[in-house]
Amino acid sequence: MFIIDFFLDIANYFIKHIDKISTYTFEHFVLIIIAIILSLVIWLTVGIAIRNNLGLAKGVLGIGSFIMSVPSIALYGILVSVPGFGLSRRSAVFGLILYAMLPIVRNVYVSLNQVDENVMEAAKGMGLSTRQVLFKVQLPLAMPVILAGIRVALVMMVGIATLAVYIGERNLGSLIQQGIVRTYDDMIIVGAILVSVMAFLVDYIMGKVQKAIVSPGLITDTTDSSTSKREVA
Amino acid sequence: MDIQEAFEVLNQQGWKLLVQHLKLVGISLSLSIIIALVLGISVTRYPFNKWMPQIVSFLNAAQGVPSLAVVAIFLPIMGVGVLPAIVALTLYGLLPIARNTIAGIEGIDPDILEAAKGMGMPSRDVFWKVELPLALPVIIAGIQTSAVLIVGTAIIADLIGAGGLGRLIFTGINHYKPFITLLGSLMAAGIAIILDQGIGFIQRRLTSAYRD
Repeated sequence: MFIIDFFLDIANYFIKHIDKISTYTFEHFVLIIIAIILSLVIWLTVGIAIRNNLGLAKGVLGIGSFIMSVPSIALYGILVSVPGFGLSRRSAVFGLILYAMLPIVRNVYVSLNQVDENVMEAAKGMGLSTRQVLFKVQLPLAMPVILAGIRVALVMMVGIATLAVYIGERNLGSLIQQGIVRTYDDMIIVGAILVSVMAFLVDYIMGKVQKAIVSPGLITDTTDSSTSKREVA
Repeated sequence: MDIQEAFEVLNQQGWKLLVQHLKLVGISLSLSIIIALVLGISVTRYPFNKWMPQIVSFLNAAQGVPSLAVVAIFLPIMGVGVLPAIVALTLYGLLPIARNTIAGIEGIDPDILEAAKGMGMPSRDVFWKVELPLALPVIIAGIQTSAVLIVGTAIIADLIGAGGLGRLIFTGINHYKPFITLLGSLMAAGIAIILDQGIGFIQRRLTSAYRD
């Protein structure tokens, strides 16, 4: 009986507050979409720019893993005390972009450099310019690894975005935050479940996207650096 | 004025909270390491290795659960205090270690194991002298990930009454005292970075020892 009551309470809360919950979910998506678009523009460019420069790449990736080891709420804490950022969406987005740096830049850099020398040589021999080699040969071949990086970044963002409620965002994290403040258990549980479901969904969808975009010939060697990948939420 | 106040807070409670934070991290990380190693190693052994793919995909999926959700879910179950925080941190922290333990042991070249068995090593020796040393760098990388994760999640654990540096950060945010937030954030970031670099250093030492 207890278990049934428990689930009924949760379902009840969910149905009663469906308006608020859908607004929060929407806001959560908007924040992540803004952050991932900006991250892609910035970090893909950076990754491509450093592809032939080992020294620079080491520096950039060092900064990335340094940022990655800063706890996200601490990074937000530091960001809000910077004049010009403060309690605003700007801080929330900027924090997310910083965390996306390592997974995206590292995967772009590593995968571009993994492209077989002979393939590059053949492309050059056929008269392709450096630019054409990059866009027509290197990037398509590197796509599986780059997408894997974006996938890691996105799943991480879903989690970190929940913490942005403490610096003024309103999203699914708000359910947890307000639930804790009001000791309203149903609210906490609904929030926690929805946030987790969202993370799984994003991961699942990205898995499908990966399969759809990547050329079938490359599917077998989807290099997933999952053993060494480092994520912090 | 603000800075002065922040330093006053630091003198009054800052160090106490720092020690509290370190205790939280220390206890949870040690428990995580022990449980994850036992779990990870037993998953690669005979009766349990049937379920390995399921367990690995579960570990991967569980990793996606946001830290705030993990901490929050223990509030309705176990109430407020240090104990639920330690349970939440331990459970969250053991995921990367267990995953890397399994990946590290599974990643060993089967020929090497075959050779060890062929030389007449009993399976106990194969484990202690071949499998574990070869998997160690990967396992330690998992511990590194976990340490950073636990330091960050321990901040959030203050929301369920665990204390620690999260108290400074959230007090600062709630009362709009940016310097107090900054202070807590910098200390927490410092711990995370020191742990990360320290464990990374140990890992590199171990790895290079095997390369020589």
